[in-house]
Amino acid sequence: MSATDNMIPAPAVRSKPLIIRHLPYFIGAAVLVALAAGMQFDGYILNILLQATTFSIAVFGLSVVLGLCGQINLAQAAFFGFGAYAVGLGTADLHLNFWLCLVGACAITLIAGAFLGMSTLRLGGHYLAMVTISFQQIVTLVMINAIGVTHGPDGVANIRRPELFQSSQSYLAFCVAMLAIVGYLVWHLPDTKLGRAMRAVRDNELAAGVNGIDVFRTKIYAFGLCALLGGLAGGLFAGGFAYVSPDQFSFAESIVFLTMSLLGGVASPIGSVIGTGLLILIPEWLRFLKSVPGLYLAIYGLFVILIIRFMPDGIWGFVSDAFTRWRAHTKAPPAAAALQLKPATSGGDIVLEVTGLSKHFGGLKAVDGVDIAVKRGGVHALIGPNGSGKTTTLNVLSGLYKATAGRIVLDGTDITNMAPHQRTAAGLGRTFQNIRLFRSMTALENVEIGAERPGNTMIGKGEDALTERAMEALTFVGLGNRANELISSFSYGHQRLIEIARALASNPTLLLLDEPAAGLNSTEKLELHELLKRIAAQGLTILIIDHDMTLVSEAAQHITVLNFGRRIADGESMAVLRHPDVVSAYLGSE
Amino acid sequence: MDLVLQLLFTGIGIGAVYALVALGFVLIFRATNVVNFAQGEFSMVAAYLMVVFSVDLGWPYWLSFLIALAGMALFGVIFNLGVYYPLRNRTYLPVIIATIGASILLSNSVLAIYGPQPQVLQGWFDTPGIQLGPVYLDSQYLLIIGVTILLVLFNFWFFEKTLLGKKLQATSQDKEMASLLGISVSTMIMITFIYSAVLGGLAGILVAPVLFVSIQMGSTIALKAFAATIIGGFGDVAGAIVGGLALGVIETFGAAYISVPYKDGFAFLVLIAFLVFRPQGIFGERVAEKA
Amino acid sequence: MKLTRREFSAGLAAGLAAPALMRSAWAQGATIKIGMCVPVTGPAAEQGLWAQNGAKLALAAVNKAGGVLGKQVELVIEDDQTTNPGIVLAFSKLAAQSDIVAFLGSIRSTQVQAMAPDVIKVGKPVMIGGTNPDLTHSGNPWLFRFRPNDNYSGRVIADFGVNTLGKKKWAIVHSTDAFGTAGGKALSEALTKLGAPPVLDQGYANQSQDFTPVVLAVKQSGADVLGTYFTFENDLGIFARQLRQLGVNIPWVGSPSVVAVSSTKLAGPALFNTYGVADFAEDSSDAAKAFGKAYRDAYKTAPDNQSAWPYDAITILSAAINKAGSTDPNKIRDAILATQKFAGAEGEYNFDKNGDGLHGYNVVKNDKGKIVYDKHIDFND
Repeated sequence: MSATDNMIPAPAVRSKPLIIRHLPYFIGAAVLVALAAGMQFDGYILNILLQATTFSIAVFGLSVVLGLCGQINLAQAAFFGFGAYAVGLGTADLHLNFWLCLVGACAITLIAGAFLGMSTLRLGGHYLAMVTISFQQIVTLVMINAIGVTHGPDGVANIRRPELFQSSQSYLAFCVAMLAIVGYLVWHLPDTKLGRAMRAVRDNELAAGVNGIDVFRTKIYAFGLCALLGGLAGGLFAGGFAYVSPDQFSFAESIVFLTMSLLGGVASPIGSVIGTGLLILIPEWLRFLKSVPGLYLAIYGLFVILIIRFMPDGIWGFVSDAFTRWRAHTKAPPAAAALQLKPATSGGDIVLEVTGLSKHFGGLKAVDGVDIAVKRGGVHALIGPNGSGKTTTLNVLSGLYKATAGRIVLDGTDITNMAPHQRTAAGLGRTFQNIRLFRSMTALENVEIGAERPGNTMIGKGEDALTERAMEALTFVGLGNRANELISSFSYGHQRLIEIARALASNPTLLLLDEPAAGLNSTEKLELHELLKRIAAQGLTILIIDHDMTLVSEAAQHITVLNFGRRIADGESMAVLRHPDVVSAYLGSE
Repeated sequence: MDLVLQLLFTGIGIGAVYALVALGFVLIFRATNVVNFAQGEFSMVAAYLMVVFSVDLGWPYWLSFLIALAGMALFGVIFNLGVYYPLRNRTYLPVIIATIGASILLSNSVLAIYGPQPQVLQGWFDTPGIQLGPVYLDSQYLLIIGVTILLVLFNFWFFEKTLLGKKLQATSQDKEMASLLGISVSTMIMITFIYSAVLGGLAGILVAPVLFVSIQMGSTIALKAFAATIIGGFGDVAGAIVGGLALGVIETFGAAYISVPYKDGFAFLVLIAFLVFRPQGIFGERVAEKA
Repeated sequence: MKLTRREFSAGLAAGLAAPALMRSAWAQGATIKIGMCVPVTGPAAEQGLWAQNGAKLALAAVNKAGGVLGKQVELVIEDDQTTNPGIVLAFSKLAAQSDIVAFLGSIRSTQVQAMAPDVIKVGKPVMIGGTNPDLTHSGNPWLFRFRPNDNYSGRVIADFGVNTLGKKKWAIVHSTDAFGTAGGKALSEALTKLGAPPVLDQGYANQSQDFTPVVLAVKQSGADVLGTYFTFENDLGIFARQLRQLGVNIPWVGSPSVVAVSSTKLAGPALFNTYGVADFAEDSSDAAKAFGKAYRDAYKTAPDNQSAWPYDAITILSAAINKAGSTDPNKIRDAILATQKFAGAEGEYNFDKNGDGLHGYNVVKNDKGKIVYDKHIDFND
C-alpha cells in the first residue's frame, strides 16, 4: 500500500462523523417521542397513532425487501401476525415477560422469513408473489383452525404491556421511539455494504452476480430483515391493542401494507411513514361517505390506481425528486491518486486455461469442445462471426451459464462449477455487451460495489478506503470529476467506461470485455484503445470479445477464432487474421 | 366407490370453474407479462350484469346472457385503457398494484350500487340435476364442464388456426418482433383484455347459479384460479385447464379424506410444492427466460 | 413559578380542546346521543344495514313518545368495516365524543372482544348482540347482551331435537369461525348431557364454494338429525342445496341463520321443513308481532334477529336512562340490570347480574318458505 501515501482524503461526503451529521434527525425524533408522551390524546387519536406507528415499522420491512432489494412480499401481514401472536400468546397464556416475547417474536419471524426466502427466492417475480400469498393463506388458516394453540378465531385477549409503559400514552411514546430507531437504521441501510448489495440485486441481478455479490444470500438477508421488522411491529401492535385475532393478519392486510409502501414511496423509510399514515387516515377521513356502503373503499381503490399512475415513486419519491431538481448540481469530488492494478499471480504462465468447454442448449451445440489458453499480461481476443458462440463462451466463463462439459481454470483455481460471485471472488472481472450498470446509483456507488469484491487486496479497511479505490478507478477512465452523478446522466460511451472502472476497482486477475466497442463512435473507440493499452501496461490480462477488427488487430497479441461453436483458429494476431478458414468464415457469413 | 365418483364429479365441476378463470389470467399474462389481480372481479361484475338484465329487468335469459357478455367486452376495453395501458412501459410491480387497486374499486363500487345482499340467479336448466346411478350430477356443473371442454377446443382452433390467433401468439412471445412484422401490439393487447374479460365474465355467469351472486364471489375463486395457473405452468393455456381441474379434484378429496377446515390450504400447499420442486408447472413455462 | 411539562401540555391540550368542549356542551343541551358501531362495509354489510334499520325504528318510536329525559335521541353511526381493527377504531372514535352516553356494539363476538379493553377504559354501557357466552362472563361490567348467548342456543337445539323430535343420532356441522366453533361446542356439550353425544362433529371454513365432502360425511355418519351453526347465508344456501341433491333429508335444527330471511330466499325449497332456533320470531309474542308490523311498514321487508336486537337495545336503553333519571353511566347500568319481565321483540328480558337479558330461544320452522313460530324454550339458569 505504498501508493496511498500521497493520497488526498476521500470525497467530502463523509467528512463529519455520522452522529453529528445526523443530529437533527435524533433531535426531531426526541421531540416526537416527547410529544407522544406529553400531549393528551383522546382514545381515538391514540389508537390511530398507535396503529400508524406499528404499521409503519412493518412497512419499513417492505421498503427493505421491495424498495432496496426489488423483491415482492405479499405476506407481510403474516409476519406481522407471527409477531403479534408471539407477544400475545407469550404474555397472555404463558405469562412471560413482554421483552422476552418481543425478542422471541423477532427471532421467530427472522427465521420464518429467511426460511421462506431460502425455499423460494430462487424464483423471481410472479412466482415469489404467489409463494408469499400461499404462505400468507396457510398462516391464516393455521391461526383460525389450530384452536388449541392460537385460540382460533376467538383471538388472544388480555395481552400485557411492559411494566414500564402501562399507560397508553407512554406505550405510544415507546413505539414512536422504536419507530425512530428502526427508521434510522433503515434510512442508513442503503449506504452500507449490505444495502449496496441489495440495490445492486434490484437494479441488475446479473451484474450484481459478476461483481462478486452473492445474489441469493442478499435476497435472503432482505427477506429475513423484512420479516423481522414485520414481527417487531406485530409484537408492538399486540401490546398496544391488547387483543389480536386472525382476521387482522389476512391477505387483505398484506395488500394494505404493500399499498402503504408504494403510496409513500418504496425507496425510503420516510415514504413508508407517509404512506402508512395516509392509508390509515384516508379511510378515516372518508368515513363521511359511509351513508353509501362501499363508496369510500371504492374511492380508496381509485386512489391506488391514480397514485401508481401519476406518482410512480410514491409521494416521497415525487417530493424528493422535485427537491433534487431544485437543488444545485452535485459537487464534483476532489481528485484521486492514480489507480494501482496488482493482479494476483498465484498460477503459472497461463492465467486462464479452458479445456474442452461445451455448452449445449437441448440439441443446439452453442459451444462445442473449445480450448483457450490466455497468457498472463497480454490482450487476448476471442472473435468469430455472429452466432459463433462467443458470447455463450463468455457467459459460461463468468458463470451465468453452467458448462455442459469441459474445465475452466483461473490462475490455478478450478472455477468450472462456481457461482458467478464466487468466480468474481476468485479474480474474474467482466463487462457486458449491453451495459449492465446499477441504474439508480451514482457512478461512484457503482464502482464501489466493484471495489467491494471479496478478496480485493487493493483496499484498506472502512468506507473511506472503499471510496478512495472507487475514485481512483473512475479517475483512471477519465470520469473522476463526475463521480457523484447518476448513471442516467452519462452518455453511452461513458457508461461503458464506468462499467470498465467497476471491474478495474475490484483488482481482477483477468478482465473479460464483452464487445466493449459496440455502439461507440470512432473517437470513443480510439479512447477505448488507449485505455486498454494503459490497463495492459499495468500487467492486467484482458480477454476481449469484439467484432471490430481494427480494435482487435491493433490491441490483441493473441487471437482465438470460433465458428459454429468450434475453435477454427488460434495463435498470434496477424497470422490468425490471414488464416484461410478465418477469412472464409467471415466472408461467408457477413 | 359411489363416494369417490360423487367427489370426482364435484371436484371436476369446481375445477372447471377455476380453469375458466385461470384461462383469463393466462391470456393476460401471456400478452402483457402481468398478473391481473382483478380477474376475479371480472366474474363478479358479469354476474351482477346478468342479475340486472335477467332478474331486475326481466329480459329473456339468453338475451341477458349475450348483453352481459357484450358488456364485459366493453369492460375489458375500459379496464385496459384505465388500468393497464398507462402503465405498459413500467415494470410488472406497479401494474400488479394497479390491478389490486382496480379490484378494490370494482368490488366496492358494486357494493355501493347494488347493496350487500347476495342475489339469486337461475341456472340455464329448469331441472336442477340428474341422478346417474349412485352419482348426482348437478345440471349447472354439467354445463360448466361442457363449456370448459368447448373452450379448450375453441382456444386451440383460435390460437393455432386463425390469423388473429397467431398474431396474438406472436405478440405474447416477442413484442418487438411482432411490431417489426407490422402487428399492432397495442391492438393485440386490447383484444386480449376483451377476450379475457369475456372469459372471466362467462365463468362468473356460469357459476352464479351455484354460488349465488355476491361481492366476494370473484375473489375467492380468483385466488384458487391463480394457484391453478402456476400448477399448470404459467403462460400455458392447456396448463391452466389441467391445473384448474387438478386443483378442484385435489381440494375436494383433501376435504373429504383429510380435513374440511383446511380445504383452502391444500391448494396452496400443492402450489408451494410445485413452486419448489417443479416451478415450470406440469407443462413447463412457455414464457422465455431472460438471457 | 415552575411549569412542569405535564402541566404545560395539559394546558395546551385544554386550549386546543376548548372549542370542541363548547360544541359538545351545546350539543348536550339539544339531544341525547347514542353511538352505534355497525358494519357498513365488508362481508357483513348486509346485516349491518338491517341492524341500522332496527335501531332507527326504535329511535323513531322513542322520540315520538317524547324522547329521553325530555330530549330527542340521536344515533351516531360509525362503520366497523366488519373487521376487528375496524371496530376498535370506530368505537374509539365514538368514545372520544364525550356527549355520547351509551353505545350499541357488534353482533359479532370477536369484534366485541376486540373492543372490550376500550369499553372498560371508557366506562359507559355498551349493548351487544354477540352470543359468545364469555363476553358477559369475564368481568366486564359494561357489556349488556340483547340476544340469548350460545349456551342457550345449543341447549335449545339439543332439547328440541331430542325431546320434541325424539332424535338421538346427531351430526353437527359448524363454521370454524368464533361463532360456529363456540356454538358447535355448546351443542355438543348439551347433547352429551342429554345422553346423545353427536356421531359427527364437522367444521368447515367460511366462504367455501363447495360442500360435497361435508354432505357426504353427514350422509355416511348415519345420523338421523342434523344440527348446524352457519355464519354466512350464502354458505348455508350452497350447503342446503347440495344436501338435498345428494339425498339427505333428515330433520335439521340449526342456528338462527337457517331461518334468516336471506337464507330462505337464497336456498328456496332446499330449506323447507327445517327448524331453526331464533332469538326473534314474529309470532312468538305480541311485542314481536308489533315490531314485525312496524318494520314491514317502514322497510317493506320482513325483519329478523339482525334488526330485532338493536330495536330492543334502543328501547330498553332509553327506558333505563329515563328510569335512572340521569346519563350517569353507573345509574344507567343499574337501571338496565334492574330491567325484569320486559316484553321485547326478541323475547322477555330478565337481566341477570352478568348483563344477559335473554335466557332462551324460539324454535321456528320453515314451512314452504314461510317462517312459522313453533315453540319457545326458556331456561332459568
